[in-house]
Amino acid sequence: MPTHPSFRADRTEGTGAMNTPSAPSIYVARSLPAALDALNDCGSAGAPFAGGTWIMRSPIRHEAHQPQYVAIGKIAELTTIRIDADVVEIGAAVTHVALASALADLPEFNVLATAAGRSANPAIRAMATVGGNLSTSGFAAADCVPALLCLDAEVEISSRGDQERVGLERFLRIRPTLEPGRLLTRIIVPRRDRKTAHARLPLRKSGDYPAAIVSLAVSFDAAAGVQAARIAVGSVEPVARRWERLEAALVGRPLDPAQAAEVAAELANEFTGRDSVELPAWYRVSVLPSLVHRAAVAALGA
Amino acid sequence: MVQNLTVNGDRRSSAADPITPLVDVLREDFHLTGAKPVCREGFCGACMVLLDGAPILSCLVPAALAEDCEILTVEGLATDGGLTPIQSALEACDAVQCGMCFPGMVVTLTHLLTAKPGATRDDIRAALTGNICRCTGYERIVEAALIAVAAK
Repeated sequence: MPTHPSFRADRTEGTGAMNTPSAPSIYVARSLPAALDALNDCGSAGAPFAGGTWIMRSPIRHEAHQPQYVAIGKIAELTTIRIDADVVEIGAAVTHVALASALADLPEFNVLATAAGRSANPAIRAMATVGGNLSTSGFAAADCVPALLCLDAEVEISSRGDQERVGLERFLRIRPTLEPGRLLTRIIVPRRDRKTAHARLPLRKSGDYPAAIVSLAVSFDAAAGVQAARIAVGSVEPVARRWERLEAALVGRPLDPAQAAEVAAELANEFTGRDSVELPAWYRVSVLPSLVHRAAVAALGA
Repeated sequence: MVQNLTVNGDRRSSAADPITPLVDVLREDFHLTGAKPVCREGFCGACMVLLDGAPILSCLVPAALAEDCEILTVEGLATDGGLTPIQSALEACDAVQCGMCFPGMVVTLTHLLTAKPGATRDDIRAALTGNICRCTGYERIVEAALIAVAAK
């Protein structure tokens, strides 16, 4: 057991059929310092618990629960969204529903509002958090990851007595080996004049994980040519990533959805799709040009 | 450690482990079997209950995090033997089929009619995207919800 006094004790005996000798404990943190203290005390035995939509399904994946969880969903500063003139700051425990609602009137964030507002189903969106989406290494189909990649987001990582800010791309590289006691606390997104869109292909219209995701953000010069482009692909490979060659191909000319899809078809073989029970690897790659087309059409209409 | 929960207005205690899904505590400890643990992934909606008035998937909520909340299950919707408007409409439309998904449907629609009294067909369909019916009986359920909306 951790030294933190507020942990719910493991029970080693009881009458309920669901009790196990090593049942995990849950500490409900009411402040960020308390959460960081608890995570620090737990060390490698502990993990943050945000929305719980991934952790609670551990038994289905035949994965053991962590011995101790620190629930962070009731920490006020982690459930706040701050919208300033030049930046949007999102607490890690903000739910998808809250994020979609907060960004609804900011067209430059269509990509993120769509990612948060269309993922999974309404009840999942009310529970799942943006920080959980970014921090869960095993979840390849997280909608917010490519959306935030194309928005050049940074994340704040906090631990007891320390805090650092890193780009999201770097965070995705280091997250599997993040030291115990460190917690993603904030997502920082710069505000820019840009058109954005999020195209996803679930197996059904809603409720499923997408086979593939294309998130797009483009800014235009005075002649309506693409000045800068950010395109991120999610769910195709185990970790979402930017499609830099396609980005470069779009710059310097008007955004033409058909042409963008043609280039995407030429470049799609740089992705190695992931195989899964529901879909073969090749299918995820093969739908990318169509999703690029959809994203470009949606961005132009934004 | 005992979990103290407020379910359908009653204070209840459970000796289940803190991480135990709320749906299991409701069913195994409190014998409230309306919520069904069908997929345990949050995709089917059969375990839906109201937590402080909001529809939640009780298969994904640990019992420890439901403390200090008002839990309302499908068993707690009707009071004094009288059905709620959505329950009455569903009965009148003969919308109930095998019953596996149905408690979740009722809970979702109860919330929708409270949060959006003028809900449209599209609103109803959107609200039900997380409630899967394997009998493919959505249309009568949607019609019943529209009747309940119109009756308000």
